[in-house]
Amino acid sequence: MPLGGVIFITVFISVFGYILIRLARLTGGTAKKTSQAKFDIYECGIPVEEKKDTKISIKFYLTAILFILFDIEIIFMYPWAANFKNFIVSGAGPFVFVSMFIFLAIFIFGLWWEIKSKALEWD
Amino acid sequence: MTADTFLFWFLAFAIIAGALGVVLMTNPIHSALGLVLTMVSVAAIFVTLQAYFLAGVQLIVYAGAVMVLFVMVLMLFDLKNEIQAFSRGRIRGALKIGSVGILSGLIVGAFAKALIANQALGAKGSLASTASTAVGAIKPLAENLFFNHVFSFELLGVLLLVIAVGTVALSRSKGGTHDRN
Amino acid sequence: MTSMGTTGFEITVNLIKTVLVFLMMVQAVPILVWLERRGSAFIQNRFGPNRVGPLGLVQLLADAVKFLTKEDFVPEKGSRFMFYAAPVFALIPAAIAYMAIPMSVPLKLEGATFLIQGFEVNVGIVFVLGVSSLAAYTILMAGWGSGSKYSLMGAMRASAQIISYELALGLSIVGVILIYGTFNLTDMINAQHGALSFSMFGYTVSSAYLPNWGIFYQPIGMILFFAATFAESNRLPFDLAEGEAELVAGFHTEYGGFKMLMFFIGEYGHMMIASGLMATFFFGGYSIWNFTPQQVYEWLYGLVGSELLANILNTVVHFLSYNLKFAIFLWIFIWVRWTLPRFRYDQLMDIGWKTMLPWALANAMLTATLIFAGSYFIF
Repeated sequence: MPLGGVIFITVFISVFGYILIRLARLTGGTAKKTSQAKFDIYECGIPVEEKKDTKISIKFYLTAILFILFDIEIIFMYPWAANFKNFIVSGAGPFVFVSMFIFLAIFIFGLWWEIKSKALEWD
Repeated sequence: MTADTFLFWFLAFAIIAGALGVVLMTNPIHSALGLVLTMVSVAAIFVTLQAYFLAGVQLIVYAGAVMVLFVMVLMLFDLKNEIQAFSRGRIRGALKIGSVGILSGLIVGAFAKALIANQALGAKGSLASTASTAVGAIKPLAENLFFNHVFSFELLGVLLLVIAVGTVALSRSKGGTHDRN
Repeated sequence: MTSMGTTGFEITVNLIKTVLVFLMMVQAVPILVWLERRGSAFIQNRFGPNRVGPLGLVQLLADAVKFLTKEDFVPEKGSRFMFYAAPVFALIPAAIAYMAIPMSVPLKLEGATFLIQGFEVNVGIVFVLGVSSLAAYTILMAGWGSGSKYSLMGAMRASAQIISYELALGLSIVGVILIYGTFNLTDMINAQHGALSFSMFGYTVSSAYLPNWGIFYQPIGMILFFAATFAESNRLPFDLAEGEAELVAGFHTEYGGFKMLMFFIGEYGHMMIASGLMATFFFGGYSIWNFTPQQVYEWLYGLVGSELLANILNTVVHFLSYNLKFAIFLWIFIWVRWTLPRFRYDQLMDIGWKTMLPWALANAMLTATLIFAGSYFIF
């Protein structure tokens, strides 16, 4: 895999983006603070009424954790899928098939339990 | 200095810069982004060791799932106290310097050990040739996983199930946010 | 610089190729925006931009010049570094992932073979998935750097949506990997050349007219994959992230000028990756109906006579075939955007977890069972 190419193009894109932004700043000028309202956050036109303790729902955390778990399970399926036909040809087909299906049964049970327990209900 | 050597030193520098950023930055979200840099660079090091599938998995799981969780959770909090706590104060400053000192000690120790090991081996070739190319290829990896470690593999599924149940249970425990009473 | 070529000439050409593919992605954005604005106007029974240049084609150039004169604005409360870093970071995952998609037959000149893609990755699909999953950081950095709670809410919702649909995306591909037995995109395309033929349960099914494309092997997988990529690039019907009337413009509320343009380059870049992958997995990539590249090459050789010219024409013809499929899928993206209404956020998460994930899992299991049974139970 061409690692040098990936690093080269990453550096190139960063420099490209940086130059683009500097160019825009050069031709457009930095914003001057003509009034406080200009530099405030957009809130549909009214003056900013931001409370100090806006809480964000915990469901984002649950979604992210469950995503990690199922992502790991999907990652385990990739080498199995890439070599499934090889395994069948080399004679270990049933063994690999059954072992992955047991794993998938646990996965499905986890998914079913998580759906049934309404852990991801967004109201 | 060959291209491989240059690549290794560049990536190693990126990893250590990211790790130092985690420890030394005042804003926790900047620290988390430093850790993302570390993870991506470690994936790149896997590529130089010719473990391509593992590099992809490192990107998908570590840099794409675990660190997203970290950054999302950090944004749930009000971080003004954290930022203030780490920008001033002598005890905090001493803790910062102490952790950098420990890290430097680890780095120096790694260097010394590598030098000794290198002398013992007798300068045997470049980095890529000492790595076993059989580790990264997919077919031997799959064979190793599904034939030699089947039981651990199934147990891992059960472990992930336990994590899922535990997380939901924690958020429903007494005083938690999804408390049911 | 592993495998970027051996001679200095090859390395230079390959590096320039990566830059060219990136610039191609950036240059496709004005065309796509024009297509979107005229296409949406056509669907909504009105004229789109038709004043600037012929058919309004120069519209986005005029927009770019307008963006150049905008002030460079950073909200006071945000984090300056992340506000600037987020748009630049938006370009990187999309560009790198697009480079792994093969766009044509490798060009065989005397002495060197040049692949028509940014670079060749031997774990193709795992690499593309890994790099696209870094796109969640763009949104989080933009939402946090704006310093506004509305941007932050929009960013959290958008990233939760992206990670939920990454699961369905990853699973819908497992069926394709099962059938082709490889991660490599070039090998997948090579397996789709020629006429339809496969063998199962001892019988061989083959057809003279249908191509050997992936859509005949994985129809459900195709629908799931396509739907999941809509959610991945934040396009309608999944575009809660930019839902007007809900969160103003979501995580890019505070952006203007060139920085916002870079976000859209990233979004269209993800659309292009989705179209390219659809063509590669399910529609034969650059292959033309049921003719193998060797057949096309021989026909061209008979037409032209010179080997060098036939090689070049072969590459060009297949490149055009790939672009045709690519353009059709991009048009479908735009068409769906202006046809379907937007999902509500809880509907969106429900679909991702409760509908698409089980269906993708069922698809993978069914494919595995059929492959297994088809090889073992021979009548």
